[in-house]
Parts: sequence; structure tokens; C-alpha cells
Amino acid sequence: MIDSIISIQQLAKKFGSFQAVNDINIQVNRGDVYGFLGPNGAGKSTTMRCMLSLIKPDAGKISLFGLPLSSNRSAILRQVGSLIEKPDFYKYLSAYRNLDLFSRISGAPSSKKEIYQMLDFVGLSGREKDQVSGFSHGMRQRLGIAQTLLHNPDLIVLDEPTTGLDPQGIIDMRHLILRLKNEQNKTIIFSSHNLSEVEIICNRMVIIHQGKSIVEGNVKDLLNEEDQIIRIQTHADSLAKGLNVLSHFPQTNVRTIGSDTIEFNMQKEQIPALNIQLVAAGVPVYSIESKRKLEDYFINLIAS
Amino acid sequence: MIFFHSTRNELIKIALKPRSYLGLAAITGLVGIILFALVADGMTVISFVTASFEQTLRFEGKVLNGNLVAFIILQMLIVQIPLLVALVTGDLISGEAAMGTLRMLMTKPITRTQLLISKFLAGGIYTFLIVLWLGVMAVGIGRYLFGPGDLMVLNSDGLVILQEGDIMWRYMCAFCVAFLALFTISSLSICLSCFSDNSIGPIVATMAIILFFTIINALDVPVFDPISPLLFTTHMAAWRSFFEDPVPWQQIKQSSLVLIVHNILFIGISIFTFNRKDITV
Repeated sequence: MIDSIISIQQLAKKFGSFQAVNDINIQVNRGDVYGFLGPNGAGKSTTMRCMLSLIKPDAGKISLFGLPLSSNRSAILRQVGSLIEKPDFYKYLSAYRNLDLFSRISGAPSSKKEIYQMLDFVGLSGREKDQVSGFSHGMRQRLGIAQTLLHNPDLIVLDEPTTGLDPQGIIDMRHLILRLKNEQNKTIIFSSHNLSEVEIICNRMVIIHQGKSIVEGNVKDLLNEEDQIIRIQTHADSLAKGLNVLSHFPQTNVRTIGSDTIEFNMQKEQIPALNIQLVAAGVPVYSIESKRKLEDYFINLIAS
Repeated sequence: MIFFHSTRNELIKIALKPRSYLGLAAITGLVGIILFALVADGMTVISFVTASFEQTLRFEGKVLNGNLVAFIILQMLIVQIPLLVALVTGDLISGEAAMGTLRMLMTKPITRTQLLISKFLAGGIYTFLIVLWLGVMAVGIGRYLFGPGDLMVLNSDGLVILQEGDIMWRYMCAFCVAFLALFTISSLSICLSCFSDNSIGPIVATMAIILFFTIINALDVPVFDPISPLLFTTHMAAWRSFFEDPVPWQQIKQSSLVLIVHNILFIGISIFTFNRKDITV
């Protein structure tokens, strides 16, 4: 049975004359790692803020755990852990004190032992009594994750949690999210402007652009690897010969780009055989690139 | 329970924020300077004031005593204390917004009204501690250094001399009314803090409003007569009324009522505004 954790229908919010989100529709089920994908300013953070009642929407319905957010805010937020944008803490307080303060208003105050265990879990063991002012961005991000998880929420909302992290920090964050899903069956919402990140971590996703949810569904379905856009770069003199070789393969949408590039749609299993035939026909192959439709779409979206 | 924890949190934040001690340090320093000046040259100052009465009155005993010193200190410092209060309370909401912690707080199940009331409560407790410290420094240290004695107060109606045994309750009541006046400043600055996302704006705005209203009071122009009694700044010095004889209870009640109404108004505006605020920072 599919258990709906979040249902957002026709969400809209304006800031002055700027329409931040308009007609956002989202459905997140229990156990999903759900990706919010979109370029900067697309409306991802506004949607998340509406979901956490930081921003009051102008229109639309938001339900979490089957309850309308507007009339069940406190009951809902007891089950939610979130980290919106950058992790901000009281810099003049220690890591322990910060977690203690946030824990006390989360509805389930944690003991000193639990806080120390959580700090250990995120790799801040030994820094419990240090002031946050001395923490690096990565350490604050870990503290933010600790704050998010401390009251053992069912739903975790992370807004671009890998921003500003070093490569190891990004890998650690991905592992942590996957651990939370696999070991604790948490429902996680994760926003990013990086498609590959969403592809690695999420099982379902939505693409948000100019405040609208454009595509929503399973990541595997949306990033279908069967039908790929292939781009081959050859020598200008060999372009006609290359098109001739290509005509013997199952493909669609063949088009030339400039004087030396051919682009077409083809199943990826055909690519090695095509390459062999091109070389055998004396067509110099400088490069073969493959892109999935959605990736191409998303890159164009960001470029525009 | 969350409200209790939130109030506790607010008190911890105030207690561990270095800025909170500026007020206490400033009071200690200012009272110290006044006491030093009075110890060194107090009689000269007092003689200057009493000179005009010496042809008709004869002063016996110690005029410059602890009670008079405390009164002088209160008179001098009551102008500065609102700034010291606003310095901390004006930062309670906007400072959190500027730091980004307001966003973190408001993703928790605590309601906005609960958070706001806990901040008002914590601001009130801080204000009370400031008044208490002023009392300890002015009355406690003043009496310790200069000893007890009758209090001589120069009012607009003339000279009032209060017996030593009749003074302490007046100080207690005066501090209560002074607290109410300063809590109004605290409420105003928290209220202004709800409209801002930067830390310094509400503090400056609070002082600007106090200054503006004080100038209206001071102008003594008939056109301002109808509004002047309604301004909270008119009643900031209501504590002084306890040092008149007889005590003008009706006037004190009226001043207290105006201050209470202002507090209710500021708290109401804050709740209304904060509950409708989009937290975008």
C-alpha cells in the first residue's frame, strides 16, 4: 500500500510582483528519497519553506502525513526534521548547547547522552563543547544534519545540503542520506540543481522551473537510458559517409550540427556496432557523446 | 511544555550572549562614576542646591546620605537605561532573523505566538534584572557608602523632606513603576524587531521613537496637549511621584494604566505581525 507523506496541489506564492511558485503539484510516498531538481531561483526553496510553514502560500493545498498543514502545523512538524539552505546556529554557543536548545522545542527533548551520540554519528565527536563560531562550513553542515535527525523524525527535508561541501563532504552526505533511507526507512526530500546528484540518491524526482513542476515521476523512468541522444563528431569531409553508415542502423531524429557533427536518437546497445562500422568505412570518429533526453532537457533549461 | 522550554532557551541565549552584560557593566560603571563624584565633591553640589533655602531653612543632620545619593543616581540614569534595555530586547527577533536561526526555530513545532511570548517574557526578566541591579547599585551601595538619613527632594511644588523610616517602601514601589516603564521599552523594541531582519534597526528605531516622543513632551506647545498624556514617554518618570508627599496615587494609577495599555498594544501588534511574516531569510 502506498502511504502518502506529502501531497502538494496547485501551490502558488508571490513576493510582490514576482511569482515565486505557481501550480506546483507534488506527491511523496513513505520511504521515498525524493529529489527537487531545478536551476537556482526555480522555486525549490520556496516550495520547501511553504511545506515547513515558514512561508504562507497564496493558494494551494499542502498535506503532510495525511493532515492539512494549515490546521495541524505543530503535530506535523514534530515528525519533520529539516535543514533549509545553510545551517545557521548561535555562534556564541557550543555545538552541544545549540542542539540542546533546538531539541527542547522539537517536541521530544533529547538527553545529554543522545545529543553526544548524535554528534558522534555526524563526526563531531570531541567538538561538543567548542563554540560554533570556530566551525568550518562542513562542520556546521554536519551539525545541521545532527539537528535535523536528533528527534528521530519520519520525514527529513534537506535543501541543497551538499552546497559548499568539499568532495569528501559531498560523498559523506550522499552516504548518510542513503543510510537513512536503507537502514531507517526515512522519507527524504532533497533539493539540488545537480542532476547527477539526484540520480545517485533519489528514487523519485520533480523538475521545477520558473515556479512550476514540469516533470514528476520515478527517476529510472524519467532518466530512461534506453533512448539516448547520441552526438558523433567526425571530419567535415567524412560527414556524408558517416550519415550513410548511420542509415543502416535503427535511429530517429538524425540531424547535423555544424559541418562535422551528427546528432540522432538511438538505443545505447547499438553504439559499439555503429562505432565499428564508422571506423571500418574510414570515417574518423573524434568523439561519441551520449545524453539522455531529460539530461539534455535539464541542461537546456539551465542554459536558458 | 514547549513554551516553558522556549522561555528557558531564550533566557539561556540572553545569559550567554556577551551583549547582555553591556547593560549591567554600563550601570556598574556609571553608578561608580556618580558615587565617586559624590564622595569626592558631593557636599559642594549639595550646598549649591541648598544655598537658595538657607536663608529660610536650617538643615540639620546629614543631607548627603544614601537615600539622596540613590535618588540622584536614579534621576541621572533613567535616561540611559532604555538604551541598555533596547540593546538586548531589540535584537530578540531581528537578531535571530539576521543570524538565520529564526528559520531554524520556525521549522520546529513551537507556534509563532509561543515563541514570541517566550521572548517577551525573557525580555521582561532581563529588564527586571537591569532594574534590580540599578536598585542594588543605587540604594544598596549608596546607603553603604553614605549611610541612612532623611531624603530631601526638590519637586516643582517645592522641597519635600521624607523621614528615613518612610523611604524604603517608596523606593520599592518606584522600582516597580520604573520596571513597568522599561518593560514598555522592551515591548516596543521587540515589536519593532518583528518588522526587521537586521539586528541594529529596531534598536535605533526604539531610541528614535523615545527621542521623538520626549521632544513632543518637552516642547510644551498647546497643540500637543491632547496627545501628550497618551504617550508612554510622558509616564517614564512616573516613579518620581512616589517621592512626593502626599503620594499622588491617582496620577500613578493613570501612568501605570497608560504603560500597561502600551504593553498590550505592542504585544498585540507583534503577535499579529509575526504570525503573518514570511520567513525568507
